[in-house]
Amino acid sequence: MPMKVAKATFAMLTIIFLVAPLIAILPLAFTSSVILTYPIPSWSLRWFEELFFADAWRRAIFNSLIIGTGTTLLATALGTAASLGLRNRLLFFRGSMRTLFLLPMVVPAVVLGVGMQVLLAGFGLTNSYIGVIIAHTVVAVPFVVVSVTGALAGIDERVELAAQSLGASPATVFRRITLPLAMPGVLSGAVLAFATSLDEVVLTLFVAGPNQRTLARQMFSSIRENISPAIAAAAFLFIAGTVLIGLVVVVSRSIMAERR
Amino acid sequence: MSAASSRTRRSLLLLAPLLFFLIGFFVWPLFSMMSQSVSDPAVLRLLPRSAEVLADWDRNSPPTIPMQTALMKDLKAVNDDQALGDMVRRLNSARSGFRTLMGKTTSALKETANPPVDLVSIDKRWEKPEFWLAIADALSPYTDRNLLAAVDLGRNAAGDIEHLPPDQSVNGVILMRTFWIAALVTFACVCIGFPYAIIAASLDGWKRDLMLGAVLLPLWTSLLVRTAAWFILLQEQGLINDLLRAIGLIDAPLALIFNRTGVIIAMTHVLLPFMVLPIYSVLITIPKNLMPAAASLGAHPLRAFLRVLLPLSLRGVASGALLVFISAIGYYITPALIGGPSDQMISSIIAFYATGSANWGMAGALGVVLLVATLLLYSVYARLSSDEVGGR
Amino acid sequence: MAEFIRFDRITKFYGPLCVVENLDLGIGKGEFVSLLGPSGSGKTTLLMMLAGFEQPTAGEILLDGTSINAVPTYKRDMGVVFQSYALFPHMSVGDNIAFPLQMRGIGKAGIDERVKRALDMVQLSTLSDRRPSQLSGGQQQRVALARALVFEPRVVLMDEPLGALDKQLREQMQLDIRDLHRRLGLTIVFVTHDQSEALTMSDRVAVFNKGKIEQIGTPRQVYDEPATRFVAEFIGETNLVEGVVETVQGAEATVRLPSGAQIVSAVSGSIASGQSVFLSIRPERVDLSETRSEGRNVLETEVTDSVYQGDHLRVQLHNATHPLIAKLGRRSREFPPGTKVFAAFSAGDCRVIAP
Repeated sequence: MPMKVAKATFAMLTIIFLVAPLIAILPLAFTSSVILTYPIPSWSLRWFEELFFADAWRRAIFNSLIIGTGTTLLATALGTAASLGLRNRLLFFRGSMRTLFLLPMVVPAVVLGVGMQVLLAGFGLTNSYIGVIIAHTVVAVPFVVVSVTGALAGIDERVELAAQSLGASPATVFRRITLPLAMPGVLSGAVLAFATSLDEVVLTLFVAGPNQRTLARQMFSSIRENISPAIAAAAFLFIAGTVLIGLVVVVSRSIMAERR
Repeated sequence: MSAASSRTRRSLLLLAPLLFFLIGFFVWPLFSMMSQSVSDPAVLRLLPRSAEVLADWDRNSPPTIPMQTALMKDLKAVNDDQALGDMVRRLNSARSGFRTLMGKTTSALKETANPPVDLVSIDKRWEKPEFWLAIADALSPYTDRNLLAAVDLGRNAAGDIEHLPPDQSVNGVILMRTFWIAALVTFACVCIGFPYAIIAASLDGWKRDLMLGAVLLPLWTSLLVRTAAWFILLQEQGLINDLLRAIGLIDAPLALIFNRTGVIIAMTHVLLPFMVLPIYSVLITIPKNLMPAAASLGAHPLRAFLRVLLPLSLRGVASGALLVFISAIGYYITPALIGGPSDQMISSIIAFYATGSANWGMAGALGVVLLVATLLLYSVYARLSSDEVGGR
Repeated sequence: MAEFIRFDRITKFYGPLCVVENLDLGIGKGEFVSLLGPSGSGKTTLLMMLAGFEQPTAGEILLDGTSINAVPTYKRDMGVVFQSYALFPHMSVGDNIAFPLQMRGIGKAGIDERVKRALDMVQLSTLSDRRPSQLSGGQQQRVALARALVFEPRVVLMDEPLGALDKQLREQMQLDIRDLHRRLGLTIVFVTHDQSEALTMSDRVAVFNKGKIEQIGTPRQVYDEPATRFVAEFIGETNLVEGVVETVQGAEATVRLPSGAQIVSAVSGSIASGQSVFLSIRPERVDLSETRSEGRNVLETEVTDSVYQGDHLRVQLHNATHPLIAKLGRRSREFPPGTKVFAAFSAGDCRVIAP
């Protein structure tokens, strides 16, 4: 019995450690004070106003949306095509290619950032949207590959053989069978790519100019230089977005599971 | 067989875009970073004519007239005093006496009224091949100086590798600090994550969902949000200090931010999910009746744990620990925002060299060290997790 | 019966591994042929080549006299039923069955009509809008069957289609499929490793072993007249007894056993006197009695064990040199261990097999 109590206490404390910080920041988004401390003197939406109407924050949100959208499109297209190619088991270097596709997840962002700045400077792509989108795509693509290959691995190949035997040409099999079945994986890959781009700071620090300052980059420098409750308001939006994204992923996974 | 080969062609066509994209924007940047760390064209840029002539020199005979003329022309053409100063400093560290020799030579060359015919007439030392040798070596566009400096080594005048003097040995300290912080974070994650995963795996229903959800929520939350949250909690008027004061445990606020404590707490929070999830995924594959079976065979619960559950879950712990350690050594944001000056890890130093002082050579060299460490650890991790699949 | 499908010297290698070796097989129109064999014997590979999922390394497959080697799967017009059913998980039952009709450009009215008829045929008319995952295994099997039949394919191929069903359902489906075969006059090639399934359903059974056909014939032929030791052992249970041929007269041979006993047995194929052979004696054809019966083969044996198994009594016997098993009817008397009995069987109930 004391063992059970100890276990429950340990679990509760760890859950508090994991979740409490995220909850603690939320009410501060609605403070009327200029400092980020409790107790909150009175409630106000002034920091959301700041977020949406102050020039620096508004631009940052706008930039994050542009760069996030570009990254999502590019990473999803490249990652999905490559995952389809990786299905072919007869391919030479299949394993090495897969490793290469996943490696950007492993390489420290600062290392990649240094190399990326050197290279993009050579192309004249620093301080441009396309440069930032390329950099974000490199780190977002592994998530698409993992997600889509996972979905493709879940497709029973005999389902595609069956479609062929019923008279579907390879193109029709792809359009009517493979793609619809892989779609949940493609979608959750796209969501993960967008989230990665939204949260990316280090590469942005190296490649982006002042005109491509993203929301994450803006949060980074505002924590560093002059922290204000606008951070809490941004965090509130992020956490709300996360819960939404989480719901999308959970729902699409359960749809996939239902189809098994 | 044409069906198979057309299938291969189609697969390659699908793979090609991402392959070229990553070669261009992932592999190439890493290579250009590496080449930055070994490239050193500063002297070559200043002395292009000498480089041409010195290429034919046999490296031990006395300097020829064309060599002297070329160097004189080069030195006269230099109009960047800072670059000249850098070059002299470098030559002097390879061969002492260069500073005075160069000073004397450049002022003599400025004398327009009575131009010197050759260098030997300015200073007898120009007759000695050693000085020319130092120039010839400095002209090489490649150097191992940065890579050696990254691990606190350097070359002495004789060209042997030796430890740099303590006042220049900052990188070793930072590397050790990086590994030490990463190790502490890994240890904290194992201490919290392993029991947590065991408890989660032993439960079912909403209790398990709650425990897993508590791990996944922070994992999905923006890193910046989490760091900002810790910033708010840990600051002097933060919730933790308020709470401790309210219950009377402390009188004056504890220093929790801009120091090691804060960095460890925040990084443990960020990386804990990477420990819990691999262990959990191994644990749920272990049949639930093993522990009762061990008990029925007479094993005390602690003994049953040590002999049955621990060995079976060790692989999960090892891959979780590696994952946390690999992520920790490359961390930048958390130490940069929560840590003080003495908690900066290798990534911060790389960023400083790159963006702060534009010393791409050193940034590249430290980057190579971090990259190699990461890839080595990752290959161990990959081996471990592929064994896992094969073992089942 | 006119020959419809012909495998002409088919060989298939996977890398260095030969899975089908120089195989010839003809199948008539409207015939139900089972390919029976243990796993890895090449039967599924042969079916996959017929469906067009695999290409033979050498040899030719002819359908109605013309080679189909170069014809892609989707133009072969063969309905395939898989063991895992391979239903499209993202389509309703009705859409699954409509799929092959859509591929053939049939109009909507025609499709609806034929889907309805197909669903009626497998008694699933009420489930048209369900997803496959909402159906039981047996229902999914029926959908797969309807989908493979709805477009009236030239040949129906079935790859262990009943393997995942429980015993009762499987036996019901066996009868249903056999019934469909007779009613619709389908040509069916059916792969299975279950010998009783093959015997129940087929017009002819081809027994596969190591990439070759050991024997092909009607269920009665492969059971009663096994051509090889493999067939005798794989199909049903049998007693194999070594012996040497003494004389051959027409369709009968006299074989001397090591114990000295002489057995008269039916022969198929070429057997010469002096040859070492096996005798295959089906356990249920052996009678036991305490008196020597005349005009039949008789072995003197002793009962070592006897087990009551509900529908029959299984008796283990031993004579001087080899064990023997007899399956007796339920009404037979008990034989306690140690009883000395005569095991008798007629010449037509045993078979000489070349080793």
